[in-house]
This record gives sequence, structure tokens and C-alpha cells, in this order.
Amino acid sequence: MQALETTQDAGVNTLPIRTALMDGLRQTNEITLNVLMVEDSEADQELVLRELRRSGFAITSALAQTAEEFANLVHKNVPDVVLADYNLGHWRGIEAVEILRKEGMDVPVILVSGALGDINAVECIKQGATDYVLKDSLARLPIAIRRALREKQIERERMQAQRDLACKLEELARSNRDLEQFAYVASHDLQEPLRMVAAYTQLLAEQYRDHLDEKAQRYIHYAVDGAIRMQTLIQDLLAFSRCGRSDMGSEISDCNLILQRALDRLTAAIEEARAHVTWDPLPVLPVNRSQMEHVFQNLISNAIKFRGKEPPVVHVSAHAGEGAWEFAVSDNGIGIAPENADLIFAVFKRLHTREEYPGNGIGLSLCKKIIERHGGTIWVGSSDHNAEVKAGSGTTIRFTLPTKTQEPNS
Amino acid sequence: MKCTPTEVLLVDDNPADRELTSEFLSRSHYPSHIHTAGDGDEAIAFLQGAGKYAHVARPDLIVLDLNLPRKPGHAVLSAVKQSAGLQRVPVVIFSTSQAPADILGSYQLGANSYVCKPGNLPDFAAAVTTMGDFWFGCAGRHCSPEASVAENVAIIPIEENA
Amino acid sequence: MGMPDVDILLVDDSQEDLDLALHALRREKLANKIFAVRDGEEALDFIFCRGAFEGRSLEHPPKLILLDWKLPKVDGSQVLREIKSDARTKTIPVVVMTSSKEERDLINGYLLGANSYIQKPVDFDQFRETVRTLGLYWLVVNQPVPNAQPVGVR
Repeated sequence: MQALETTQDAGVNTLPIRTALMDGLRQTNEITLNVLMVEDSEADQELVLRELRRSGFAITSALAQTAEEFANLVHKNVPDVVLADYNLGHWRGIEAVEILRKEGMDVPVILVSGALGDINAVECIKQGATDYVLKDSLARLPIAIRRALREKQIERERMQAQRDLACKLEELARSNRDLEQFAYVASHDLQEPLRMVAAYTQLLAEQYRDHLDEKAQRYIHYAVDGAIRMQTLIQDLLAFSRCGRSDMGSEISDCNLILQRALDRLTAAIEEARAHVTWDPLPVLPVNRSQMEHVFQNLISNAIKFRGKEPPVVHVSAHAGEGAWEFAVSDNGIGIAPENADLIFAVFKRLHTREEYPGNGIGLSLCKKIIERHGGTIWVGSSDHNAEVKAGSGTTIRFTLPTKTQEPNS
Repeated sequence: MKCTPTEVLLVDDNPADRELTSEFLSRSHYPSHIHTAGDGDEAIAFLQGAGKYAHVARPDLIVLDLNLPRKPGHAVLSAVKQSAGLQRVPVVIFSTSQAPADILGSYQLGANSYVCKPGNLPDFAAAVTTMGDFWFGCAGRHCSPEASVAENVAIIPIEENA
Repeated sequence: MGMPDVDILLVDDSQEDLDLALHALRREKLANKIFAVRDGEEALDFIFCRGAFEGRSLEHPPKLILLDWKLPKVDGSQVLREIKSDARTKTIPVVVMTSSKEERDLINGYLLGANSYIQKPVDFDQFRETVRTLGLYWLVVNQPVPNAQPVGVR
């Protein structure tokens, strides 16, 4: 620590008090600062260092008077701040900025100079200097340094936050990929042994029918039933997990054709139930065809399945709205109680026992996921979301599909 | 229509699947002899009449799974279709895979037919029985089962990465 | 616009045999969309979507081609050769129909490339039975090459 020097006009017997004061200040405010000065005048250097110490910095400093010296010193010890005189005769201090940039060092450079002129000052800032302070207003220097350091800190924190975010996003993407792959492999590999269990228990029942009493046949029936349900469950879960993949694209599609394909798949069910299915002309929209086919198939299948005493009558309609089309699938079946209207879209949620109506409860939640991925909404009941839904009077499932695709990478 | 049993080589690494398929092939309206192989190498040995297979008749039909250990089904398919003595034997791919790449790849390698193994028993039974009815009953064969052994032995160029 | 999708293309110059086949297929409810042509040239135009069939798309080939061997204009072997040597059409299943064992022996060398062949039974009932089994196998059991647009969630 350097001895405090008396200034020329000190004269007054205030030294001991000032020393005590300064000591006190140093103890409370002390910031360690490693300064690299580019200055050819020793006197000027001293002035600057004194000003800095006075305002509470604990300084370690080095001095460079040429570009080479600067480069060497910067290598030895990266400073917190560079204070450079603008005009050193043979070298312009602003070039320190260039040297730092070449070395990839992000150190603020503050020009401490005699008369600079506004134009030159702006020029220096443009060339990369953080700030400039005139030698006859050195009191500004500590403020300038504090501000430069604070800005650097903020910048550093911002970049770190960005890196952290990028890291987390990559982790998330990787985790999603792992999950998808797991779901695919698990369901794929799970289906094989299940197929064997289901097939052989059925064969067993068939080939040893004469040797099996009623109880044994019932046992086998439960086993077969369980295996078959599990097969369906795995397939549905797989479809559910695959639905979220971002690479399932959309294309402009004729919804009438999609509906037709869904109906083709339901031919047997429609015939068996003697269902009467009608439809209005449907629009052309940007959708994922296989997913929308699944939605139609599931909604119509439900309409047929949850029928009352009469043969099911199902109608598919659509009308244009603001930026989207609203579709409706309505039936004359057993209906849904108002308190259950939201529940039915939850995964695995069933409102009936399996004896009453078959199914595992994934179908509607998958429909919801698909519709929402398209940017639409799906709900039970009338066009007015809040209107009363009466149980027993048939069901209408409505959903919207945007006219323009919502996904960024379709 | 046909009285002589159709000689079938069934290639599948899962013994349960082999038995299931054999069971329903035998329920076809027409007779057959089902020979089985558990992997690609065994299948090739059978087709070449190598070792213990020295006196087997050349099959009239090959039912081939894709997912085999060591040598994949596509390699066996390729070897058969590139062999002068065997290329006329119809090969039916019988696999759980519904992947378009697998289906297209099989046809491009010369598979005569591709059947996805149904997951539930009734559909499985129907598919395999119909497979039997067609290939044992309707479909013509390229040579009678009494063909000489010499005609069966063909040098099959087996490409490792077919 | 183009024609709707066709399940089976029947190629036969015998009206009698065509009628029999159509009848048998329809009775089994095996195919809604059957198209019949009477000669090899028409068959090729249909398959390659040219001439009178320009509106058709190569992206939607028939699930099965039933190809009689003796045909006017362009014969069966030529039709088979052209279908199987073009990358766009070579994966379409083709079942060749021969009318006698002698013919089958003669054409043995040309049958390479056909997915299978059948000998047309002389007996009416057997013919119907054959068409039924054939239709059931190739339209329901066999899996054709998937179209560019996959249908249904796996």
C-alpha cells in the first residue's frame, strides 16, 4: 500500500484525519481492481491511481507504454480494466482495444485522456472503448469504472443464463427422444410375448375343450380377456406417445376422404350395430391425415358403441368460424352427464364398467391430444361451451381445427 | 385340386410362433409337409441340401420371418432370389413388422408376398389358413416334388450384407 | 379428375372368364373396385396411366393384377415383363392365369417375376372357388406396398 501523498495545496494540518478517513473508507468500500494502464507520463499515472484509491479501490497496477509491452502484460495477467491514454506519440491507446479483441479478452477499455474533442471521443467508443474520461475530470473515473464493471457482470450473467437455457433445452430434447424410443421399444417388445399368451390360451381352450370343466373354461376366458385388453392398451399407449412427436407433419387434406377412410375401417362395427351414419360436406384443411383419421374413427366408434336401445344414428357436420372450422359428431346414444363432460378426456378415465361397454379409456384423451396439437379445442355439448348437457339425450362431441397450420415445422 | 402335399420351409426364430403357424397351415384344405428352421443359417443349409439336409426335397414354398438372429430375413430372401435353382420358389414374408421400409424392401428383393402377422388369434388363424389354401391349393408349383436331389443343390451366393 | 382407386385389374380377353371372375369376386364381397381390360395394350395403358387412362395416378396402383397369358395386341409375357422391369410398378402383385398344364410348361421360363400363377380350372365351381381363395389371399391377407400416404396410426 502506498503512502498517502500530500497534495500541493494540502498545507493544512488535515493529514492524519484524512488518513484515518481514507482508511475507514477503504475498509468499508474496498474493491480489488487490477488495472493495466497505457500511459507515458508517470505523473499522470500517479494522478489516476491516487484518484482510484481515494474512491475505495484496492489497486494493483501495471503500466504499458508500447503495444508490445501491452500485449505481454495482458498475457501475464488479464486486467479487470484498461485505462488508456489516447495519444502516446508513437501509439494510439485505442489500439489496445484491437489487441484485446485479437486475444479474445473481454476487458473494458476506458480512455483517460487530455483534450479529446467530441468527435474523437465518439469515434473511440465506436471502435470499442467502453468510455472516456478527461484528465481534468478524473473524479468521473471511478464512476466510469464501476459502471463498466457492472455492465460486464450483467453481460456475463446474461450469457451464462443463455448457455444454461440451451443446455436445459438440449437435455429436455434428449429426454423426450429417450422416452419416445423407450415407449416404442417397450410396446413393440411387449406385444410379442402378449401375442403368445393370448394365442396359446385360446388354443388351449379350443383344443382341450372336452377335458376342461366350466370353471377351467372360465379361468381361461379371464386370462384371454386380460391378454387381449393388454394388447389393445399397449397399442393405444404407443399411439398416444407417438402423437406428440414434432415430426408428424400436416398437409392440406380433404376431410371428406379422411372421414371415408375412417368409416371403411368401421364397416364391421357399423353393420353389426345397424348404425346409420350421415355427414355434411367437410372442408379442406391442413392436418395430419392419419391422426385425423384416428379422431374420426374414435368419435364415430364411440357414437356407435355407447348406444341406447335403438340403432345408433350418427351425424358428422362442420361449419366455418373465425380462423377455424368447427366440427361436430352427434349421436342418439346414452349421452354424457354434465358433471362428466370434462372427465371423459382424461387418460384411462372410464365412466362405465367393462361389462357395460368395452374400451380402455385412452381413445378420447388421444383425440384431445391430437386436436390440441393441431391448435384446436375439443369439448362435449353445444356450440356454447357453457350450455347444459343433458344425460340420456345423445352426445355431441365438438372440435375445432384452425384454417391455417399452427405448428412451426409442418 | 392338388393331392400331393406341398413342401414348406417355415423360417422363424420363435418356437411358439413356428408351432402356431404350422398348426394353422395344417388346417388348410390342402395337405402339406412343414419343415422348420430357427434362423437364417439353418434355412440356407436346408435349401442347399447341406449336411443333415442332404436328402430333403426342395421346398415348394418358403414362409419367412424377417426378424431372425444373426442373419436377417432379408438376407435369406436375397440369397434365394439370386440363386438360379431357387429363385422360382415363392417366398412369403410373414412378419409382425408393418414398417413401410420392411414391406417395400421385401418386395424389392423379390418377395412374392408379404403378410403381417395379426396380433389376435382369430385373424392370425384366418390369415394363415388362407395362406395355406392359396399356396397349397391354387398356386401352381414350378416343379413336382419328385425332383431329383441334384436339381435341389444350387450354389447360393450368400451375401453377408444383402 | 382421376379415376377412383382400383383394387383388382383383370386382364382377360375371354368375356366368359371375365364374367365368371367378376361374379365370384363380387359374391364374396372381396372387392368393390374391379376394373377389367380385354387386351395387353389396354392393360399397359391402365397400369402406366397413359392413353385412355391418363387421369389415373401411378401413386395408387391396383392391389392385384390378374393377368391372362394369351392376350391380343400385347401378350401376357410382354405385359408382365414391362410391369416388372419398371421401378414404379414392379412391386404390384401379379398373378398369371394359364389355361393348361402344357402352356404352363412352355412358359415356365417366363414366369419369373410373377408373384404367382394359377392354372384356370375348367370346372365352373372350381374356378369360382379358386377366384375366391385368390381374392381373399391377395386382397385381404397380402400386404401390398404401402402408398406414399400412409393410412392409419400403426
